[in-house]
Amino acid sequence: MDNGTSNSASENETITLKSCDGIEFHIDARIANRYTLLNNWNGGESACIPNVNGKVLEKVLEWCEHHINDPQLNCGDDDSRRRNTIIEEWDENFLSCDQDMLFEIILAANYLEIKPLLDLGCKTVANMMKSKSPEEIRSAFNIDNDYTPEEEEQFRKENEWAEDY
Amino acid sequence: MASKMLMGDMPELMENILNHLNKEFNSLYSCALVSRHWCKISIPILWQDPFTFYHHKPLIISQYLSSLGKDEKIGLQFMLKACKINTQFPKTIFDYASFLKVLDLYFLKCKVENWLSLQRCPKAPYNLLTFTIIKLLIKKFIESGATLQELNLDFSVLDEIQPEICYSLEQNMQFLSRLQDLSINSISSKSKFNIESLATLLKILGKATTKLNTLNIEVPHYYDPQLFHSLICIINSQKQLKQFYMSDTYGFSENLHNIISALKSQKQSLQECRIFGCKFTEVFKVLANFENLETLCVGGCKSSNNKELLKILEKNFYKINTFEVITNMGFDTLNIVQCLKKFGSLLQRLKLEAIGDDIVEQSLLLETIKSFCPNITYLYIWDIGLSAQFQELIGNLQKLQFLTLYDLDDELDEIIEEDLRRQVIQFAGRLPSTLQYLDINSSSLNSYIDILLNHCNAPLKKLIISHLDEKNAKALIEFSIRKRTLNYVGVHNVNENFKKEMEGYVTLVPYENAVISVTNKLE
Repeated sequence: MDNGTSNSASENETITLKSCDGIEFHIDARIANRYTLLNNWNGGESACIPNVNGKVLEKVLEWCEHHINDPQLNCGDDDSRRRNTIIEEWDENFLSCDQDMLFEIILAANYLEIKPLLDLGCKTVANMMKSKSPEEIRSAFNIDNDYTPEEEEQFRKENEWAEDY
Repeated sequence: MASKMLMGDMPELMENILNHLNKEFNSLYSCALVSRHWCKISIPILWQDPFTFYHHKPLIISQYLSSLGKDEKIGLQFMLKACKINTQFPKTIFDYASFLKVLDLYFLKCKVENWLSLQRCPKAPYNLLTFTIIKLLIKKFIESGATLQELNLDFSVLDEIQPEICYSLEQNMQFLSRLQDLSINSISSKSKFNIESLATLLKILGKATTKLNTLNIEVPHYYDPQLFHSLICIINSQKQLKQFYMSDTYGFSENLHNIISALKSQKQSLQECRIFGCKFTEVFKVLANFENLETLCVGGCKSSNNKELLKILEKNFYKINTFEVITNMGFDTLNIVQCLKKFGSLLQRLKLEAIGDDIVEQSLLLETIKSFCPNITYLYIWDIGLSAQFQELIGNLQKLQFLTLYDLDDELDEIIEEDLRRQVIQFAGRLPSTLQYLDINSSSLNSYIDILLNHCNAPLKKLIISHLDEKNAKALIEFSIRKRTLNYVGVHNVNENFKKEMEGYVTLVPYENAVISVTNKLE
């Protein structure tokens, strides 16, 4: 039965990926086959990934390798209304890195169209905002408040119903 | 420095992040107050499903009413003033109605009623005002540019179907064009509905919605050709219907057949079907040779002629792996046995529930499950006792992971205590080495948890019981030490003292959070 993980590359095949700062990674070709963008570049035995540096690419590939046997999502499986903030233990540990690295991983996953990793990164950031006050969020992510006091007051009033839940 | 992602450079990523908080109203509220950019992205998510939680303050109604048109606002304020309600509706920063994605008319009605109570509305005009506000808001939602994903069209909430609502829908087809889940309920509750208007509304739904994943229809108990034709049109116009639920709460309607026949148009896409109140033969005739239909639940079914059913089953193929039969009208074992013989080898999940009734021909049923359903991983069975044959079946199901036993009282009451203890010991020993989940919450086995656990070698991860006492707690701790697999025990009224006592051995969780249904998976 096809569990959604089958692809044409065999377990022994490898390809070489080169990061934008020239670091080479030899990876299982099945990883490249799984993700469209990596696959598109795989014309030969090696491919260059602009925009993603070696440090970040190493993390991204580590994640891909760990999840190589996960079933692939079908189109339409994604529904923003049914998203949640539950993260598996391995993934939680994997993304326990500094904030800069976390955002770099999200950007790389977005650039490389690795949707499950992108969602995982976004979920991790969402968890960092959970149950925090506006001031705590601003301080956690270093954001400036650009509201005027009047504007802020009106927003508070109009959305007061959501404050306690 | 803040990541550029959070400063407005990549709004689609920011939206992805905040979408993960879609039910965390308080967190979204905080995010909206962080900065102007965060506000622009948080507010549409915060307001996409504001009716879901019943206990929210009904203040959202004020914000929605604030964005009504000038004439509508004046008219409403006039009505409210007549009831001594002097509420102002100042202009809001956003048109919050345009963000709506989930609309449940029943919840809308609750919120409107709560809002009127909050305004100290007198009793006499209460209903008139409720209906007026509901109609104004529905029109506002349609005309605001909102695109719904989920709609529960509960007709009990409406006092009439206004032609202008239909007109407005026709002018704003985007409102329904992305609908994924549609429920149509309580059409019969208001016999004074104008059938023409009702059929027109349903026709518009059929025209506008073509991408439903889930369709739930509560069938009207009276027959009207126009009305039934419109319901059938909704089914026929779907391109990718995956789940179909249909029920007849008013008794057996002669009209169900026409509606389920329309399902033939969904042969390629349908994955799950739940039908309440139809004959077995009709269900299997229509759902024959559906490539992707894996889950079938039939409830309250009339018995069918067994030979006729056999003929239909023999001629066709079924790929059903989850089969659920729920009935309170007599359990037709012979019909079920025919089904199990036909697709039992594919079955992974089986639920048999005979509410208030004995399962007749138990022996035939158990023998059939044993012989034809070797791949069952989930079994939920009602009122079957602990007979030697049942124990043999359980011992034979070598892939069984989930077992729920319900209401063994009648069967076990007739057995003397000593025999019963012996049966429980034997049953515990028979539980297969694959079993991870056992639910005896509604079973007399609750009185023998200590015996059951002391003789059980199955690597249970979750156990659901009705209550905890000193004896059970001790048995659970001993089992946990011996097997080291048990993580959770679901129980009604979690007692804090027991919770502390069990700490380090098992986690006590409320029953409703622990129970696994036929379509759930073990976490």
